[in-house]
Amino acid sequence: MDVLSNLLNGFQTALTFKNVYLCFIGCLWGTVVGVLPGIGPLAGITLLIPATFGMDATGAIIMLAGIYYGAMYGGSTTSILMNIPGESASVVTCIDGYQMARKGRGGAALFIAAWGSWIGGTLSIIGLMFLAPSLANFAVKFGPPEMFALLLIAFILLGSLGKGSFFKTVPMILFGLLVGTIGMDPLTGTMRFTHGIKDLYDGIGFIPVAMGAFGIGEILTSTEESLVRFVGKVKMRELLPNRDELRASWAPIFRGTGLGFLIGLLPGSAHVLSSFVSYTLEKRLSKKPEEFGTGRIEGVAGPETANNAASESAMIPFLGLGIPTGPAPAVMMIALLIHGVRPGPLFISEQPQVFWGLIASMYIGNLILIILNLPLVGLFVNLLRVPFRILFPVILLICLVGTYSVNSSVVELGILLFFGVLGYIFRKLDFDIAPFILAMIIGPTLEMSFRQSLMRSAGSFSIFLKSPIACTLIVMSCLLFLWNIFRAVRPKKAWEKALEEGE
Amino acid sequence: MKSQVKRLSVLMALSLVIISASFAADYPTKPITLINPQAPGGTLDVQARAFAPLAEKMLGQPVVVVNKTGATGMVGGLAGAQAAPDGYTLTVGSVNIPNAIEWEIANNRKPPFTRHDFVCIGTFTMSPTFLIVPPDSPYKTLADFVADAKAKPGQLAFSSGGLYGMSHLPAEIFARAAGIKVRHVPYTGGGPSLTAVVGKQVDFSVNYPANTLSLIRGNKVRALAVIGAKRLKSAPNIPTTKELGIDAEYYGWVGILAPVKTPKPIVDKLRDVMKKVVEGKAFVDIIEQAGDEVRFLNGEELAKYMNTESEKIAKLYAEMVKETPK
Repeated sequence: MDVLSNLLNGFQTALTFKNVYLCFIGCLWGTVVGVLPGIGPLAGITLLIPATFGMDATGAIIMLAGIYYGAMYGGSTTSILMNIPGESASVVTCIDGYQMARKGRGGAALFIAAWGSWIGGTLSIIGLMFLAPSLANFAVKFGPPEMFALLLIAFILLGSLGKGSFFKTVPMILFGLLVGTIGMDPLTGTMRFTHGIKDLYDGIGFIPVAMGAFGIGEILTSTEESLVRFVGKVKMRELLPNRDELRASWAPIFRGTGLGFLIGLLPGSAHVLSSFVSYTLEKRLSKKPEEFGTGRIEGVAGPETANNAASESAMIPFLGLGIPTGPAPAVMMIALLIHGVRPGPLFISEQPQVFWGLIASMYIGNLILIILNLPLVGLFVNLLRVPFRILFPVILLICLVGTYSVNSSVVELGILLFFGVLGYIFRKLDFDIAPFILAMIIGPTLEMSFRQSLMRSAGSFSIFLKSPIACTLIVMSCLLFLWNIFRAVRPKKAWEKALEEGE
Repeated sequence: MKSQVKRLSVLMALSLVIISASFAADYPTKPITLINPQAPGGTLDVQARAFAPLAEKMLGQPVVVVNKTGATGMVGGLAGAQAAPDGYTLTVGSVNIPNAIEWEIANNRKPPFTRHDFVCIGTFTMSPTFLIVPPDSPYKTLADFVADAKAKPGQLAFSSGGLYGMSHLPAEIFARAAGIKVRHVPYTGGGPSLTAVVGKQVDFSVNYPANTLSLIRGNKVRALAVIGAKRLKSAPNIPTTKELGIDAEYYGWVGILAPVKTPKPIVDKLRDVMKKVVEGKAFVDIIEQAGDEVRFLNGEELAKYMNTESEKIAKLYAEMVKETPK
């Protein structure tokens, strides 16, 4: 009952006119930042920090948090409509979301993405509210050995992500790992494949590669095809998911919530991990895995829910202990510090009005976001009716401006174009791009956590078996690996043969 | 022909001098850009963004903070060093800039710029670090810790926010001064490095007051000492390494730098404005609320400090590079 009375007090704080207004501004700006490729939640929050100087701490954090989770709603929009991931957590949404848009189901995909985001977000806050202190203590126990074991599973799952054959997916993963090694080795300071170019010291960024390989690659391929596009007036009914799509989405949304909530607690690239683990899970559980990649609603519903749930549970270590696990929570923590509120282990008990005000505002914010986003679906879908000769130059411009806006680096524009051409070649040869990008994002963390573990143990591999969490995860990854091999070599059943012949 | 070119260039140089001199009189006449070479939301960002609106009031022109990150600050530093020396592009400097340069030199690479490419305007803060251990660590005092580390050379491990960065050097300097051998496990950033101590993934770490004070108060980490000479106002009962007889000191300073050829009148005006802002109550309040302390060094003091510090750090890096397994 304690939690409930605290929550009611929180709503008292959050439901003042001023705080609802700030929450709305944050959510609106977050949606904008999420929709625009290039500017992420991080830049969005930082830009508005000076604007909070005149506010009280509660108002400031309500607004900044709104930007943060609001951006996760917007991230899927460009993935679905243009095949450009709005932020790194929406890479897998491109796979099925864009195919749905090409079939004229873009509205349904956007609708389900927003709906799933709302459910994932709201359920995740409930978890945050009840479990913040205890989960924060669990999250800090998750050190390099555990991280390595988890990412091992992630990489085995990556193998089954692509819609193409196993032998076309694995080279793409290896290529992603290879590109991920570019830059300064974080553990010894050695430069790898940088050739003296300073822009490469920090590694190749996600944004130019993803926008190039997805966005520009897509344009180059599409210009060759004489696409029969879905045109004509969209009726309101066609914007909404039909009954089959709704029914297919329920389970992925709830599984995505659970997965996202747990993975969000982990440090580093948790959003990315949550969305793609959810995608592979849905593909495995599906009765028709071969249809993934051709526009299955489950491939949008699961990941988009998971990344929202993850973004909210990522605030647990920051609110419960005062330790930010990612860059965006770090910026929010700084904002609180400026207002004289110091997040830490005593934060919840010493500053209940700020903590519960924030929690309550997150319920309100999620409600605002779904009300804000659903009408936008109709608007965005109309973008698809813009003729290619206008749409393509605009997408190209978005990619160029979006990339340049992040670091004002001309070298990154070169990287964008290079991967644009490469993305085109991959598409022509029928190689999947998503496994490549995901391997590139997760690879450095895998390497880092492996080497950190060994540095901690002075080179002894026993560190991976001493931790119960790591040990369990490693056994799971071995089983998963063996299962994959078993599936690949076992004799095919009669109906599977018939299916293949039928194709 | 040649002499004509020469004469023309002299004329141009002269006119440039005159123009810049006349600029100085009514400087600034357009917005000033502050390049921050570090990521948004970091310590530098907070201080620069707190400074900007206050300086704006005194200068009468907008002061805009722009993050230009990359190569642990080298990309933004280079942009700042090569900017037009007209006082309209300044750099948010920190101890990372001279250190990154020395690191390049220690690794036999030619740094793209040196600290002599800058003229110092002043500092906002100069913070020491805490030496911290997990809350249930057997070490209650610094003496306990040093004794045990000496008994088990090379076995205790510490976390940092990144190789040779602001949270690696203090630990390295401390270990050398105390005569102990410890292992370094770099993490990506100050937050993850703190997590590693709280979660007992490592035996100890160092970190700055703004991030650490609440964890100390909430009993999630224990601070054994301040690596420096003077106790902190915000943590008066934590002794310093100097008091405890270990000669280790390291301060992470943050301040403002301008390109070296900036005209003297502009530099003087900036130094004057900076002193007034940094010592004013509004700025001090923001920094103290964030758990830090304002410590203003004027331009000359900072330049002197940077020179002596850089020499020390250069020696330390040379040793560290030698010890790195290849």
